[in-house]
Amino acid sequence: MRKLLEGSHAVAEAVRLCRPQVVAAYPITPQTHIIERLAQQVADGELAAEFISAESEFGAASLVLGAVAAGAQAFTATASQGLLLMTEVLYNIAGMRLPVVMVCANRALGAPINIFCDHQDSMALRDAGWIQIYVESNQEAVDSLIQAYRLAETCELPVMICMDGFLLTHTFEPVTLPTQSAVDEYLPAFRFSRTLDPARPMTLGGGSEADNYQEYRVAQQEAMENAETVIEAFDAEFSEQFGRSYGGLLQGYRLDGAQTVLLGLGSLMGTVRDVVDTLRDEGEAVGALRLRCFRPFPAQSLVQSLSTAQRIIVLEKAFSVGAGGMVAAEVRAALQQAGIMTPVESVIGGLGGRDLTADVIQAIFQGTTTEPFRVGRFAPDPVEEGGVGHG
Amino acid sequence: MDKRDAFRHNVLTSGHRACSGCGEAMAARMVTDLIGPDAIYINATGCLQVFTTHNQQTAWQAPWIHSVFANAAAVAAGVEAAMRARGKEMPVVVQAGDGGTFDIGLQCLSGMIERGHDVLFVCYDNEAYMNTGVQRSSSTPHGVRTTTSPPGRLSQGKHHLKKDVISIIAAHHLPYAATATIAYFPDLKAKVEKALGIKGPRFLHVLSPCPLGWAHDSALSVTVSRLAVETGLFPLLELEHGDLTGVMRLAEQKPVQEYLRLQGRFKHLFNTKQGMEEVRHLQALADAHIRHYGLLEADTEWDTRRAMHSARHGRGGYAQVTVSAPREVKNGG
Amino acid sequence: MAAKLAFEPGSSTAYHTGDWRSQRPFYHDKWPPCGQTCPASEDIQAWLALASDHQWEAAWHKLVARNPFPATMGRVCYHPCESACNRKHLDSAVNIHAMERHLGDMALAHGWAHQPLTPGRQTQRVAVVGAGPAGLSCAFQLARRGYPVTIFDAATEAGGTLRSGIPDYRLPKSVLAREIGAILALGITLKLNTRIGEAICAETLREEFDAVFLAIGAQRPRLYPGDSSQHSVMSGIDFLHRINQGERPALPKQVAVIGGGNTAIDVARCARRLGAEVTVVCAQNPHGTQLGQPGAEIPSSQQEIRQAEAEGIRIRYRTGVRRLVRSGQHLSGLEVARVDQVHDRHGNFDPKLFEGTEEFLPAGLAIFAIGQEVDWSGLESLTQAPGVVLGGDAAGEHRFAVTAVGSGYQGAMSIIAFLTGIPPLREHHEKAEITFKALNLDYYPKQARRGSETAQQRIDGFDELVTGLADNDAEEEADRCLSCGVCFKCDNCWHFCPDAAVIKKADGYEIDYDYCKGCGICAQECPCGHIDMERLTA
Repeated sequence: MRKLLEGSHAVAEAVRLCRPQVVAAYPITPQTHIIERLAQQVADGELAAEFISAESEFGAASLVLGAVAAGAQAFTATASQGLLLMTEVLYNIAGMRLPVVMVCANRALGAPINIFCDHQDSMALRDAGWIQIYVESNQEAVDSLIQAYRLAETCELPVMICMDGFLLTHTFEPVTLPTQSAVDEYLPAFRFSRTLDPARPMTLGGGSEADNYQEYRVAQQEAMENAETVIEAFDAEFSEQFGRSYGGLLQGYRLDGAQTVLLGLGSLMGTVRDVVDTLRDEGEAVGALRLRCFRPFPAQSLVQSLSTAQRIIVLEKAFSVGAGGMVAAEVRAALQQAGIMTPVESVIGGLGGRDLTADVIQAIFQGTTTEPFRVGRFAPDPVEEGGVGHG
Repeated sequence: MDKRDAFRHNVLTSGHRACSGCGEAMAARMVTDLIGPDAIYINATGCLQVFTTHNQQTAWQAPWIHSVFANAAAVAAGVEAAMRARGKEMPVVVQAGDGGTFDIGLQCLSGMIERGHDVLFVCYDNEAYMNTGVQRSSSTPHGVRTTTSPPGRLSQGKHHLKKDVISIIAAHHLPYAATATIAYFPDLKAKVEKALGIKGPRFLHVLSPCPLGWAHDSALSVTVSRLAVETGLFPLLELEHGDLTGVMRLAEQKPVQEYLRLQGRFKHLFNTKQGMEEVRHLQALADAHIRHYGLLEADTEWDTRRAMHSARHGRGGYAQVTVSAPREVKNGG
Repeated sequence: MAAKLAFEPGSSTAYHTGDWRSQRPFYHDKWPPCGQTCPASEDIQAWLALASDHQWEAAWHKLVARNPFPATMGRVCYHPCESACNRKHLDSAVNIHAMERHLGDMALAHGWAHQPLTPGRQTQRVAVVGAGPAGLSCAFQLARRGYPVTIFDAATEAGGTLRSGIPDYRLPKSVLAREIGAILALGITLKLNTRIGEAICAETLREEFDAVFLAIGAQRPRLYPGDSSQHSVMSGIDFLHRINQGERPALPKQVAVIGGGNTAIDVARCARRLGAEVTVVCAQNPHGTQLGQPGAEIPSSQQEIRQAEAEGIRIRYRTGVRRLVRSGQHLSGLEVARVDQVHDRHGNFDPKLFEGTEEFLPAGLAIFAIGQEVDWSGLESLTQAPGVVLGGDAAGEHRFAVTAVGSGYQGAMSIIAFLTGIPPLREHHEKAEITFKALNLDYYPKQARRGSETAQQRIDGFDELVTGLADNDAEEEADRCLSCGVCFKCDNCWHFCPDAAVIKKADGYEIDYDYCKGCGICAQECPCGHIDMERLTA
C-alpha cells in the first residue's frame, strides 16, 4: 500500500509491522514523531506492545536491553544528546550481543545546542559494536527497519538505523508499506538464544579478565565481518520478496567509467545523484557511491567499487575534531590496504542542518574549496541566489 | 548446578569472591533464597556483581543479568515489560548497592517506581563505594572515614548526612517499601515474603555491613548490623503507599557508642573534641529517628528481642528443594 | 579462553575459597554445666531438649539412661545442676529438679517401662550387695545390658537410705516403691532380709558370682564423742528410720538437732511435725556467705533450709556443742559455743570453739546428725578382692542419693570392664565445659521460671509438700533450657554463612571446607557456643 507519510510515521508503521513487544523511548527532537506515533498505535490497540516512557535515553536503552534479554522484541529511537546519553548502555548491548534494533534520527551535537541534521551523533557511536545503516529515503528507512530485526537476530548484533533528522523524519514522501502478512512471513517470531529464563538459568553480563576479554572483541569483529555477507544476502532476498533493493552495503550511481566518484551517506545522496546527472550531461565522468552500511565497514566492496576511479571525494556530515573526516580516513585506509593510492579528498559539510544544495555539491565535485584543514576541507556554503559563497 | 543443600536452593552459591564475613553476600544469599530460582535477577555494577561473576564463573543459579552501574532498575523494567508482553509471571528482582540506589541509580529507580513496574528493588546498603576501595557515597553516615572523606586536620570524616533514601522512595507512594538488615532473619523473611505478595514496584533496603569498609572484625557483621538497629541509627520500617505502617520496636535503646566503637571507620572520632561532637551528633540523629518513628513505644508484634529469639529446629527458612545428586561434601575433620 | 556470553549456573563452585581461610570453625559439642555437675552424669540438656519437643517418653528414657529414679530424685536431689545452670545469669536457673520429677511422675502415671539395651543375655552373674540407690542403679545398668543380677539387702524392703532416711513429706514411699518396681521388672532378683557376712558369708558370695558390687551404705551413725550416756540422745538416721517405719514418738518440748547436712534438716523437720520446738546447731555458715569469711557453707540444700525455717525451725550457724548439760540422767540441754574454724588445715572437719562464747541451749532431746560410717563387719575379705567394686555411700565421702546413683552406674561399667576385659569407653566427661560468656545472649529472651519455689508450709503431718509442675508449665520450662554448648538446630550458622559453606542436613549441619572463608560469623552468632574457631598455621 502506497501512502504519503511523514518519515517518522512511515518508520513507526514499519515498527508496528515488525510486532515489537516492548517500545521504550525518551522524547528528543527530531525523533519525537516516531515515538508519538507508536504511543498512539498502542493507545489505539493497533500495536500490542508495552509502551514505556523512559525517564531518560539512558533508561530507554536499558529498558530495551532488559526486554530483549528477557525474550521480547523491542524498539527504541533517539537522536543527538540522547544517543550520547545512551552510549554506555549501547556499548553494553553490543558487548552482550543483544539483538536490539533502534532508530537514530540524526542530529547535531551540542554545544552549541542545535536540533538539525548531521551525523555527528551516530558517528560518535561508530565504535560501539552496532551495525549502522544510513538510509537515504523514508522507503529505505521502512524497508531497512524490517530487515534490521532479522539481521540483528541472525548476527546477534544490535542494529542502528540512521535516518537524517528533519530531512527524512519530518519529510512527507510516498511510501509503500508492506502488508502485515508479508512482514510476518519475512520475520519469524523473535528468538534469542540467551533469553533469561528460569528453565535454563544463565548469567549474562558477568565478569571477564585479561585472559579472555579480547576474545569477546574478536568474536564481535567476526560477527561484524559475517554481517557483511548477511546484509547483502538479506538485501537480495528482500528485493525478491518485496521488489526493492538498496545495494546492501553500498549503492553506486553511474560508476561505469566514472573517473571522479563522490562517496557520501544518507539523504544527501539524492541531491548528489542529480548533480552527477548534470555533470554527466556536461560530459564529465563522475559517479556517486552511497555508503549505506558504515558498520560493518565494507572495505572490500568499497575497494571494488572505487578501484577504477581516479579521484575520490568523501563528503560527510561529521568529523573527528582535531583529525578530520572519519569516513574519509577509513576509505583511504581501505584503498591503501588494497594497494590503491588514489587520493581521497575529504569534505565535511552539512553540519547542524546546513544545506548541501546541488550547487554546493557541484562545487565540491569541481574542487571549489573553502579553507582547507589538515586532512580535508569544509564544504562551501550555499548561496541565496546562484553561486557559491562563504559561510 | 550446585545442589549440595537439600533445604535451600542456594540461588547464590559458594565459590563467590566476597571478602570473608561479607554482609552483602549474606544479605543477598538470604534474600535470593527467599525469593527462589524462579525469578529474574538484575544486578547493578558493584561488589555483589563483581564477586559473584568473576572471570566467566558465576555463583548464581537463577537467570541473572548485569548491564551497567546506573541502569539496573531500567533493565528490570524492560525485563518486566517483556514478561508482561510474553504473558509470563515471575518475580523480577533488582539487586544494587547503595551507589546503584542512592546515587548513580536513583534516576532509573525513580522512573521504574513512577511507572509502576512490577519489580522488587533490593538495595544492599553498605554505606560507601566498597568495590572501588571504600569511597564515600551519599549513603555514608556523616563522620565516617572513607578514602574520599578522610579525617584530617580540617575534617572529621564525611561532612554530609546519610541520604534518607527510604523517604525519597516512599514519596513515590509505591505499594511497599521497607528497611531490613541481616541480623533479623525472621523480619527480613517476613518483609521479602510480603513484598513478593504485592504487585507493583517494591523497595527493600537491607543494611549490609562491610568488614573491609567499616573496619570491623569479620565475625561481627551480624552483631554490628543488629546494633545499628538497636541504637536507632538504622530504623526498621515498613511503608505502604507512602505511609508508615510498621516499625521494629526497640526492646531497649543502646547508646550509639556501642555501635561506633566496634568499627574502625568511626575510630578517629574518639580521638578529638570535635570528633566527640560528631559522636554526640550521631547520637542525636539516632534519638531523632527513635522519636520520629516511635521506635520505643510503637505497638507492634515484633521487637528487637523477640525478633532475635532462636528456636529449637530453626525459625523457618527457605522452601525445601529436591536434591537429585548431592555432591560429596568434604568435611575436613 | 573462549568468549562465553552466558555463564553456567553455579560454575563458581569450581573455585575453592576455602584456601583463603586463616581460621576454621568446627562444630563441637560441649558438656553443659548442668550435666557436668550432675553426680549421676545425667545428660540433662538432652532430656530437656526432648521434653521441649514434647517427646516425653523419649526424654524419660534419656534421663533414666543414667538415673532410674527421676520421680525420686526429682523430689530429694539437692540439684547442683541448677546452681551450675548458665541461665541463672540471665534470669533464673531452669527448674531442672521439677522437670526431672515431672518426667518421673509421667512415667509412673503412664507405666513406661525400662528398655533393655541389648536383646542378648550374658551368662556371667553379678551380685549387688545393698538395695539402696547405688545398688539399684548398678543392678539397673547391668540388667539393661543383659547381665543376670541378684541384689541382697539386710532390710525388709528395698530402697536403702531413700526409704529409711527420707521422710514422707519429701518422698512418699509409694513413689520410691514404684520406681524400684520398674527397675526390678528388668528381671533383677532381689533377696531381702539377707545380710552378707551373716546369712551368706562373703567368700561364698564371691565364689558364686562372677563379680560383686558392694554398696552397703554408711549405716553406723557417728555419735557425739563427749558423752557416753545414751539417755535423751539419739542419732539422726535412727530417728528418721523410726519415723519412716511409721513410728510417731512423743518428743520433749525442746529438741536440739546437731549437724548441717540434709539428714539434720530432715530430722529437724520431722521433729517439728511431732510438735517439738527445734533448734539446729550447725558449725557452718549460712548459704550465700560472703567471700573472705572462713569456713564452709552449710551443706544442706538452700531450699530445704528455707522450708525448715518457714516451718519455725531455728538454725544456729557457726555453733558447736561443748558439752551435754545433764541433771543426773536427765538432759537439760546443750552448752554451745561459737565455732572458730570448721575444718583443719588438711580439710578435715575439726571445729574449734571460742572460749567465752558459751551459751545454754535448753533441750530435752539431742539428735546428732553428724555423719555415718561404713560397717564393714563380715565383709572385710571382699573389699580388696578382684571383681569386687565398691559404690555408694560406702565408697565415697559425698553422701548424696544422686551421688550413689552415679556411683552405681560407674560400678556397673567397672564390672562390665572386669568381666569383658574391655576398658569402658570414655564419655562426655572429656568434653569442655561451656561458660556463660561463651553464649550469645542476644538470642535468648528472658522468660520466667516455672514451678513454685516455696511449697505450702504445713507441719501438721507427713503428707508430701511440694507439688509437681503442670503440663503446660513443664513444656515452657523445658523451652527455657539454653542448650549450652549443644546444637539445637536454630539454623543461625546456616542462615548467616555468607558463603553457603554451611550445609543443612536432616540431622544437623556440615561445614563445607572447600568454601568456608573462616570469617567466624557462625561461631559468633551461635547462641549456645557450639561452634569453635581454630586458628590455622600456614
